[in-house]
Amino acid sequence: MKTEEKLSPFHSVILIHMIQTGVALFSLPRVLAVQFGTNGWLAVFLFGAIVAIHIWLMSYVYRHSGGRSIFDILEQSIPKFVLSPVYIGLICVWAMLCCLVSKEYILIFKMVAFPTTNPMIFELVVNLLTLWLLGMGVYNIAKAATVFFWFVIWMVFLLTFFYGEFRWARLTPFVFQGGELKMKELYSIYAAFFGYELVLLLFPYANPQTKLMRAAMAGNGLTVAVYLYTCLIAFGFFSLQQLKEMLFPVLDLLAYIKLPFIERIENLLYGFFLFTILITAVMYVWSAKEVSRRMFPRIKGGVLGFIILTLAYLVSYIPDVLSEVLDWLQIFSVIEFWIAFGLPALVGLVLLVQRRRGQPSNG
Amino acid sequence: MNIFRTILQGMLKKPADAANAGQSDMAYEPENVPGVKPTLVHTLYEFQDCMDLTHRAYPEIGVDVLYFGHLVDNHQLAQDVLNPILHIRADEVHMLLRQTQFWPAADSKELIEGILSGQVAIFNGADTYLVNVSGPKERQVSTSESETVITGPHDAFNEQAGACLSLIRKRVKSSHLKVIKLSVGEVTKTDVYILYIQDIANMLYVREAIRRITNIEIDAVHDSNMLIQYIDDNPMSIFPQFLTSERPDAIASKLAAGRVVGIVDGSPSVFSAPTSFFEFFSSSDDYYQRWMLGTATRLLRFLAFGITITFTALYVSVTTYHYEMIPENLLLTIAESRSKVPFPPVYEALLMETTIELLREAGARLPTKIGQTIGIVGGIVIGQAAVQAGLTSNILIIAVASSAIASFVIPSYVMSASIRLIRFGLILLAGLWGNFGLAIALAAIVIHMSGLTSLGSSYLTPVAPFKLEDWRDIFIRAPFGLLVKRPTQAAPPNKVKNKMRR
Repeated sequence: MKTEEKLSPFHSVILIHMIQTGVALFSLPRVLAVQFGTNGWLAVFLFGAIVAIHIWLMSYVYRHSGGRSIFDILEQSIPKFVLSPVYIGLICVWAMLCCLVSKEYILIFKMVAFPTTNPMIFELVVNLLTLWLLGMGVYNIAKAATVFFWFVIWMVFLLTFFYGEFRWARLTPFVFQGGELKMKELYSIYAAFFGYELVLLLFPYANPQTKLMRAAMAGNGLTVAVYLYTCLIAFGFFSLQQLKEMLFPVLDLLAYIKLPFIERIENLLYGFFLFTILITAVMYVWSAKEVSRRMFPRIKGGVLGFIILTLAYLVSYIPDVLSEVLDWLQIFSVIEFWIAFGLPALVGLVLLVQRRRGQPSNG
Repeated sequence: MNIFRTILQGMLKKPADAANAGQSDMAYEPENVPGVKPTLVHTLYEFQDCMDLTHRAYPEIGVDVLYFGHLVDNHQLAQDVLNPILHIRADEVHMLLRQTQFWPAADSKELIEGILSGQVAIFNGADTYLVNVSGPKERQVSTSESETVITGPHDAFNEQAGACLSLIRKRVKSSHLKVIKLSVGEVTKTDVYILYIQDIANMLYVREAIRRITNIEIDAVHDSNMLIQYIDDNPMSIFPQFLTSERPDAIASKLAAGRVVGIVDGSPSVFSAPTSFFEFFSSSDDYYQRWMLGTATRLLRFLAFGITITFTALYVSVTTYHYEMIPENLLLTIAESRSKVPFPPVYEALLMETTIELLREAGARLPTKIGQTIGIVGGIVIGQAAVQAGLTSNILIIAVASSAIASFVIPSYVMSASIRLIRFGLILLAGLWGNFGLAIALAAIVIHMSGLTSLGSSYLTPVAPFKLEDWRDIFIRAPFGLLVKRPTQAAPPNKVKNKMRR
């Protein structure tokens, strides 16, 4: 007997949260401080709200999709040769995001603890794990995400360690003073919330009991809560000026923790973030694989995943310092932002047309 | 994975083919096909050269008796078979054989298997009968050596399936406890019994277990720990996917929880399915103590699991790559103890871990009296001397010893052995890549476990799929008043087990 391969509500919440959470958290307080100035942590609400609106738009698509995959909906009305460039674009963006996310993680790790190791070896190992996880299907990925979630979420409680040093005075009564907003940077803050858009591809793996859209909302809520709490602590622990200067304020925060028998546990804890990175990476490459299966239905999913990951691995050789990776990530987060907005809009439009024409919507 | 499987299958196939080739050389092909009427001549022919077979002929009444003397209960044999036969005349034989202990045997195969399992065959003219007087030698029901408890019942299963069944039946006095008999092994024809409680066990699991066991095609099965490797979901995994226990109380509780239980004749271990990873950390003791103690012990076991997996690896990782993680005071101690050691920490750790495994293996194979000597040799000579000779550091000995002790805290020996083996992988990765290696290893373990299933249900229940109500009886041992439902993994049709409110 096989367990049913539909996602449960709890798993979906955790999966969405785990795709969203990533290394961006470590630099988030700095970026917020630079962009928004005093009490920059409040901006997390704004971004969370944008994501929530986005998910709300997607829920329109989900309601009218009748559980069909978005590709079925698109292909019903749009000829495949028109869709092919869109598909190729999606595959490229998602595959690149997968490899950039893991490369960023590894380069930071290299900076913190392994200055002489070749990062591409680490990248290879992470990619192998990603491939392994990918081969298990989305249901097992969600299961792994749940376990990884418990490995990571307890770290929130480590922040209680800073209650003693936390000063409300550092937060100041002024909101958003002394920052300089740059459009480009806003995208990269928003990148910390990316991952929710992949919910579009989960339609066929959910049933009405999954309450997929509510799960996505809850997952995003969880992410916002974690980000908000971490940033609040960072803003109350460091001064604004300090935050602006630090490259990874959350890492410095963790480095401050001292236990009688161990200290500077930030690189051990940073190691645990591999789990969130794995889920993020695997879900992006999974999405790329799902799209490529539409283009090459005859090739097995496992083979496609392998090809995509190999190509992504080769491409990830090109940016070899952290700042380059961050530049690339910025470009791709702009693209991803518009995909996250445009894809549901496109599907919604197609659904609207189909309903007008009276075509069956739940085939 | 598939490549491994094909290779393995190939390896398994060859000896079987060779055995077949050997068989065809024999002069006589056994013809005990079902439906062939049994005859004395044919039966004697089948048991040719079996000098342990007893053949008694009573020519005056035309009766022949065949049995294995060592498989039958002599007292019962005399009372049920031999005495009646001795005291009758030829014309009374027909009446005697109408008594209910004499079962007419319809076909030859059934008769031969009957004799082999300790029954007595009686030939009278064209008629053949079997009498069940089997009473094989068995070990007394004694305490379990591998699963001892302080409070609670001390009896354990022995190798006789009948005794195991009686121990379970004594605890579960319900006509709903059903027993299905299967046979495994072309040569050994080992009896396997599947037990479940009707209306509590999910029949999907029962049918799946039966299907898998009937699908086994192998010459011999000697133990239930061996059998479960033929029927588990992922034969390549390092983790046991079915729980085995020698304790009747534990097995009775598994039955009551709606799980399927299997007994293999000749094995004191009884398996239950489906099983989750976390079940291996429970012991019967937890339920016989007050709930807080049970909870504390259970949490201690999970802590022990963490220590076993990571402690030595963390030592290696910290002393190889992350010296900054050691506080200043401790740094001096560690530096002093490591100053004389000429090897990198990973070699040092592997050396000591291997030594501990050697000691454990030697201790397990040797009689208890010599086992003590091993303990002394290992503890004092190797432990102390290795430090003094400057081969290892004191701190490492502490790390290795505590992770070894922690591994023995896990109640299931099979699981604790698996975990000890995984530890080596972690140490190697920690020696190679420090904390990153540790994270990689943990991720790999989790990924592997996420893909595992037991009879098709998730191995990581109740963490994934997430079942919070099960946590009360997995990670802690909540007061009995709160343990209201049966575990969800077994998917029992009848979920509530406790209707009492207190």
